[in-house]
Amino acid sequence: MPIIQTRELRKVFRAVKRYPGAIGALRTLLSREHVDRVAVEGVTMSLEAGELVGYIGPNGAGKSTTIKMLTGILVPTSGEVVVAGLVPYRERKRNARNIGVVFGQRSQLYWDLPLIESFELLRAIYNVPRARYKHNMARFTEMLEMGDFLSTPVRQLSLGQRMRGDFAAAMLHDPQILYLDEPTIGLDVVAKEAIRTFIARENAERGTTVILTTHDLIDVERLCRRILLIDHGRLVYDGEIETLKEQYGTHRTLVVQLTEPQDVSIDGTELVSREGNVVRLRFDRRETSADQLIRRVAEKYSITDVSIEEPELESIIRRIYLEGYEASPPEEPVA
Amino acid sequence: MTPAERVEPYVEFARKAFSREATYRFEVISAIGSLVLRVYLLRSVWTALYAQNAAPAGIPLHAMVTYATVALLMSLILEVDGTRAIREKIREGTIATDLMKPINLPLYFFSDGLGMTLFAAFTVVPSLLLALLLVHVDVPSPDALAAFAVAFVLGYLVNFFLNFLMNVIAFWTLETFAIQLMVRWASDLLGGQILPLAFFPGILGQIAQSLPFAAIYSTPLQIYIGTLPRSQWAAAFEAQVMWLGVFALCSYLIWRLAARRVVVQGG
Repeated sequence: MPIIQTRELRKVFRAVKRYPGAIGALRTLLSREHVDRVAVEGVTMSLEAGELVGYIGPNGAGKSTTIKMLTGILVPTSGEVVVAGLVPYRERKRNARNIGVVFGQRSQLYWDLPLIESFELLRAIYNVPRARYKHNMARFTEMLEMGDFLSTPVRQLSLGQRMRGDFAAAMLHDPQILYLDEPTIGLDVVAKEAIRTFIARENAERGTTVILTTHDLIDVERLCRRILLIDHGRLVYDGEIETLKEQYGTHRTLVVQLTEPQDVSIDGTELVSREGNVVRLRFDRRETSADQLIRRVAEKYSITDVSIEEPELESIIRRIYLEGYEASPPEEPVA
Repeated sequence: MTPAERVEPYVEFARKAFSREATYRFEVISAIGSLVLRVYLLRSVWTALYAQNAAPAGIPLHAMVTYATVALLMSLILEVDGTRAIREKIREGTIATDLMKPINLPLYFFSDGLGMTLFAAFTVVPSLLLALLLVHVDVPSPDALAAFAVAFVLGYLVNFFLNFLMNVIAFWTLETFAIQLMVRWASDLLGGQILPLAFFPGILGQIAQSLPFAAIYSTPLQIYIGTLPRSQWAAAFEAQVMWLGVFALCSYLIWRLAARRVVVQGG
């Protein structure tokens, strides 16, 4: 049975119609007119326990609204949502015991108090048994290397330290489900890596189901096999990253390093760029195999190195945002 | 869940609020300093006024100075507003994070406020000692003192719900500063924090007496200085309980509306 399931989930926000300008502001104040804004339009998804999925989409696509409905703090306009056997908005508090949440942009830690005090408070909130609390704290302190700053007031922590604290805070009560909203935003490379390792480990070792909302597609590529892509409130893709790459990545780029700068022309390829003695050639991997191509290049030119670039997830996603998703996309335009 | 487990988070909220307040050492010192200064000013003003008129409304000078000093000490506790956090959380959007926890939010704000209050209560002691260097404070009979304590607790609860109502309005208006300023001003003046309601002329005094604000300062203070006869204590408590009931009910209803608004509109 899936742990998270939604059917035709829909959310429409109703706001007072606003008029521009000072007179407009007065008109807004008196007006009874409303405008409806559809934030989520018929999202159907099903997640098995222990999955780690990326939930991605451009700003305003409806990601946060979906998460809010899954956490029970927002009532859907229509559709169904069941999380770990509960309808979240009907049983907000019971649902809250099953979930952990991390927001990269805001902390749930007590600003003025030493970090450890926030954990003690959360222990009380979730009624975590003492032994369990000690065990978890020991694990997190070791995994997230928090030993040095447990007694430092949160306001004095660096962003990386604070985020590690926030992760421990979200996982202290052993939630079945973890919602992450931009968890690595603003972090340096080392801190990002530490957080990614932690997410992967919690998912693998404890079987925590994770929904990762992010704009950082490196997070997604590193952590998730499956992604859900949402745009304008609609789910446009739900499947494995590899499949998406297969569908969109019909072309590869051969990067050739020549012994000296010169023009290169090979049949079945297209010249993308030439910088010094590095030349980039695009080819369709359905028509030309890479080893054939390399042989042909090597016969004709004197080369020192070759490599093949795959299309990055980021460029694929960008294309989908711009053109919409199609199962068999048309020819990729030359970048 | 055992009852102890149910209560534990809220006890912890209060404890954390207490520790949090303790981190602001400068604020504590300045609060005490400003109180002592106000005690001194009020003593000077009342002494000067009483030089013109021996005992207006039947309150002698020593009782008046006691009234003013005790009112100031009470304000150390009553001006703590734990529900202010509601407004801030709504404006910053962090209320969503709180709703994702298995807690009762109004109860959370109450216990957080209680923790802040308990800390403020500690500042009352040094403030009182310092004030005693400047003024003489009358001490009533033990039963009047006990009655004062009961009235004070009831007034504290009325005050909590009044603050709660003011701050929950932020769910609709985002900003509540002007309303709060007005209500605070009204409750201080009409509640008898600044002047005993007995000084209010004729109909104005009666109006002030029948408003809910009187339950906060005036009732306990009148019991303390003895202007409220023993025979009227029960009626005074009744009025306080009545206002408490009204405000608690309003708070409950408006909170339900507000919570629905959050879950429908997304905070």
